[in-house]
Amino acid sequence: MGNDQPISRREALRRMARISSGVAFAGLAPVTLPSWAGQESEKFLIKGVGREENYSLKTLIQKVFDSAGGLQRFISKGDVVVIKPNISWARAPELAATTNPEVLRALIELCQEGGAKKVRIADHTIHDARRCFAITGVGSVAKKTGADLVFPRSSLMKDMKLRGSRLDIWPVFVPLVEADKVINLPVAKHHSLSSLTLGMKNWIGGVGGSRWSLHQDIHQSIVDLARFFRPTITLIDATRILVRNGPSGGSPSDVETKNTLILTDDPVAGDAEAARLFNLDPKKIGFIRLAEKWNLGTADPLALERKQVVL
Amino acid sequence: MKGHHLIWIRRISQAFFLGLFLFLLVETRLAHDVYQDYSMAVSTGEEIVLEKPVGFFFELDPLVWLSSLISGHQWNAGALWAVLVLVLTLFLGRVFCGFICPLGTMHHLAGALRPALKGSERIKANKKAPSQKVKYFILIAAVVSALLGLNWVGLFDPMAFLFRGMALAILPGIGDALREVFHAMAQSDVKIFNLLSYGAEVLVAPVFGYEGKAYQTAWFMGILFLVVLFLNRIRPRFWCRTLCPLGALLGVCSRFSILRLEKDADKCTECKGCQKTCQGAASPMPGNSWESAECLMCFNCFGNCPEDALSFRLALRWPPAANPGPDMGRRAVLGGLLAGVSLPFLARLDGRIHKATDPRLIRPPGSLPEEDFLTLCQRCGLCMKVCPTNVINPTLGEAGMAGFWTPRLIMTQGYCEYTCTLCSHVCPTGAIARITAREKTQKPIKIGSAYVDRGRCLPWSGNAPCIVCEEHCPTSPKAIYLKKAGVPAPQGKTLQVQLPYVDLRRCVGCGICENKCPVRGKPAIRTIAAGESRSLKNQILLGGPSAFGS
Repeated sequence: MGNDQPISRREALRRMARISSGVAFAGLAPVTLPSWAGQESEKFLIKGVGREENYSLKTLIQKVFDSAGGLQRFISKGDVVVIKPNISWARAPELAATTNPEVLRALIELCQEGGAKKVRIADHTIHDARRCFAITGVGSVAKKTGADLVFPRSSLMKDMKLRGSRLDIWPVFVPLVEADKVINLPVAKHHSLSSLTLGMKNWIGGVGGSRWSLHQDIHQSIVDLARFFRPTITLIDATRILVRNGPSGGSPSDVETKNTLILTDDPVAGDAEAARLFNLDPKKIGFIRLAEKWNLGTADPLALERKQVVL
Repeated sequence: MKGHHLIWIRRISQAFFLGLFLFLLVETRLAHDVYQDYSMAVSTGEEIVLEKPVGFFFELDPLVWLSSLISGHQWNAGALWAVLVLVLTLFLGRVFCGFICPLGTMHHLAGALRPALKGSERIKANKKAPSQKVKYFILIAAVVSALLGLNWVGLFDPMAFLFRGMALAILPGIGDALREVFHAMAQSDVKIFNLLSYGAEVLVAPVFGYEGKAYQTAWFMGILFLVVLFLNRIRPRFWCRTLCPLGALLGVCSRFSILRLEKDADKCTECKGCQKTCQGAASPMPGNSWESAECLMCFNCFGNCPEDALSFRLALRWPPAANPGPDMGRRAVLGGLLAGVSLPFLARLDGRIHKATDPRLIRPPGSLPEEDFLTLCQRCGLCMKVCPTNVINPTLGEAGMAGFWTPRLIMTQGYCEYTCTLCSHVCPTGAIARITAREKTQKPIKIGSAYVDRGRCLPWSGNAPCIVCEEHCPTSPKAIYLKKAGVPAPQGKTLQVQLPYVDLRRCVGCGICENKCPVRGKPAIRTIAAGESRSLKNQILLGGPSAFGS
């Protein structure tokens, strides 16, 4: 028990009611005015790079959080934290199609040490979830750390109002919206349609339903989802990146090592920074441009507080 | 030993083996349990295989062993079990039917718990009937067919019948019903129902899974299974007495059994208590000649005789005296021979094996070439139950008459996951040869080929951009590649899209493109069997499967 356990249906329904009413009220406000408008000056972006041969990922993540003001700024004692990795494909970790399990493990341990009451891992995978859990290494991480690994079953997909410009009512993977704190932990990789899949696109793994039709307007769909899911913080795993044959890869020759982590509370800035790792101009990537237009954040590297941590 | 002691030993054994069967049936799946240790799969890239011996009852089944041996010349790994059962039968008669067979136990229960027939009706129903010869007809026909290369014994083999019926029809049916109930409870305004529904889901999901499964023709399997169970109300153990070819085989082998029913006609008061509870309709009453080939060794007559006129004794004599032979009748033998010879040839007349194979007949990865496949497949449903994506289904007509209920991949229902090899690991006869994920992806083992239906495809038809098939393609480099183009769109516009193309040399036919295509029902990219590496003939490109190694 416990590990695989969802929040009780009763609680889920109660929270859903709360969320949907909240969203309904939010919908009354003009869409161009997001709730955090006017707070842009406080946004930050920390880049962590491991240069040493055998640097410790956990130390790097720790230092990255420290320079953002410490983990306690984001996680309070007794919080239920849900982490959204990208484990869509049943691929071995070294193929870089999925979030590095060691990064996930270090992050979970830090959250636990920071006093989180419960850490959950939740992703609506594309391949069979059981096989994804096993092959991406996330299953082992859950077992070692004692974090809950939520099985993405259809009874946990609930229709919610996204109020996006493209996506209106859509089934949402409930555990991702009912935690105290949400950490987005995507892997940076190539994608054949959206050119890259980073933090904002990771939320496609937060919904159910006919996801295959999102690709007909992929950039707007990504932005709609990014406007609905508002993570406490985004940590982009670019320890190794998939530079071609994405999003599923399959060959070690598609992978480049970058030993980089990007921590930010601005989803657009994080994605823009990661895009530069691929030598791409973020302003040429549809969903980044669109997200800026919808005031989700900024792709301008100078518009926020930036720091770099090197180990 | 007293008769009623033997009856209790029998009941314990029956309960144990039925329980074991059901346990292994449920375990024929990838567990949802996220507590399990996955470290091996990650650190060493080891295969994900089931650790429990889910095919055990098929190893135990002498008919599976015999038919695989004579038809596919395959000596199964677990053959020792089957031989052990045969040896046991030689000495002790059909104890397998009475003590072990889980299907027999189900029939026993259906007929004996609150029996529908009472008194003289029941005595009459347990009288030996000419219909009991039918099973010999089925056995002979199946064995002769198997010798001639068409192994259809699995249609009647009790293990295959039970597994198929339970795994593909009964279990998913109950699972669906339960999920409906929980769904209704979760929607209820009554608080306690909400709470219960949550707890119940946690309890039920490990057995029935979180999602419903669907199988082509499952409704028919379910009806067949229930009808055969129901027939026990009219004639107890109808299946075992009348249809079961394994029972027939064991009956033939019981000829020299040294465990005999001894009758003392002087003590008998003709109360007919023995015949009232006889499971096999084997004429236990003194005055009739006991039919060792029909006797299921349930020991009911021994245990229920109030006068001690009946007892089972070990007759240790040398040379062993033969029991009366099985009462097959000449018609069953000749009919069986005739049917056995005809069926393999009749089954080819629809042309599905040689002339025009069905493009939808995509076999699981590792499947042998079609003719060899049909010599081994038991149509048991193990591969279908274990498949995590529910893609493997029983055929209706896609494999022709010869291949009815053999496995076939329906890509609109699931897809073959790139590195998954579970079906090949559970196949009890090797009709799906054991493969590794490395072989599957490196050789590669192709099960078919994808093609784009341009009229339906969203970018090709100028309706919308879409790359879902390419995105999901698991090979590296991808077998589906994209070309940028402007295509004519409605209202005279030009739409800038990426058009998908299939590289047949790279495509393995896994079908994930078809499964995820946004054009539902009849997707715009579909998979056909052509190009499958198991067939030399069914190739598209010059060079055939040799281009991929053998």
